[in-house]
Amino acid sequence: MRITLIALTFASSSIFALMGMVLAKDGAKDTLPPGSVSSAEGLQAWKRIEAVVTHPRCANCHVDAKAIPIWTPAGESKPRVHGMNIHGGESRIGAETIPCSTCHVTSTTPNDPAPAPLHAGIDWQLAPVEFIWFGKSGAEICAQLKDPERNGGRDAAGLLEHLRHDASLSGFIPRAWAPGAGRTTPPGTFEDHVKDMALWGAAGQPCPD
Amino acid sequence: MFDITVNGVKHQVDVVPEMPLLWVLRDELGITSPKYGCGIAQCGACTVQVDGAAVRSCQARMADIAGKAIITIEAVGNGKLHPVQEAWIEHQVPQCGYCQTGQIMQAISLLKSNPKPTDEDINEVMSGNLCRCGTYERIRAAIHTAAEKIGGN
Repeated sequence: MRITLIALTFASSSIFALMGMVLAKDGAKDTLPPGSVSSAEGLQAWKRIEAVVTHPRCANCHVDAKAIPIWTPAGESKPRVHGMNIHGGESRIGAETIPCSTCHVTSTTPNDPAPAPLHAGIDWQLAPVEFIWFGKSGAEICAQLKDPERNGGRDAAGLLEHLRHDASLSGFIPRAWAPGAGRTTPPGTFEDHVKDMALWGAAGQPCPD
Repeated sequence: MFDITVNGVKHQVDVVPEMPLLWVLRDELGITSPKYGCGIAQCGACTVQVDGAAVRSCQARMADIAGKAIITIEAVGNGKLHPVQEAWIEHQVPQCGYCQTGQIMQAISLLKSNPKPTDEDINEVMSGNLCRCGTYERIRAAIHTAAEKIGGN
């Protein structure tokens, strides 16, 4: 059963990857010509991106190999480990112990008010282990995001495609701005974030020192 | 109108798409073994199986689970007691009993994926199922006994 669950994880990942290729055109619409944005403008865009990716709504599931998700309860700002002894395991979906989807059901319906668990149209999961954001500086995250070895093999256009693909599935990224009443959201909107990623990409993905 | 199969029996229910499975089971179908504890997946009292996986039925919306197979504690033993239920009786696990159907449904799910769990394995999987009476020691012992029963069959 455990092996089956893990196999299903990889199978569903492959299906999502194929769907991503089909949806690649959507991401291409957002892409700006390389070099059309100055490095200074790109760095300004990165500062806005940094504010998004370091927000608890986005960073709390981008954790290290210990795979312990982080909670920032509504009304609090200090992070704490996910309750109930939860960890995502090597599968990153909790297949080895208790799947995330036991409570974070897969659904495209709007999120309920806090403290009900969040959900999305994609099976709930931690981000891949090489995509660590929680506890990292903006410069460290910037270096990771532009490194195809640590970002799922994506160039700047691929990152935009990733955003649109995720949104097409009512996934985690746009839902960061629709987490249900009582929860804070990252600055701006999802569309602002897509535009900033396009600006940053066209500027050559500059990172702060 | 949604199709739903509960314990092998097909039903059609005329409910709003957002209705939680827990309400469908209890109020529409009269199956009251899944309990309402918190309504926010913090206690586990409403746990059932959806297509073989333990799920908090207070969180599963009807529109998302239509057509799937739901199993509640009434059907886990196929007409007799499931080894986990037998172990629960042997260890006299329940006190008030309110959380126990959820505990048993989660324990069955645990033993499907991990037939010989350690204490640590049990703690990891069962920590989302709360018991205000504090029967955790007996729950852990009963799961070990159930593992032996299932392994011996």
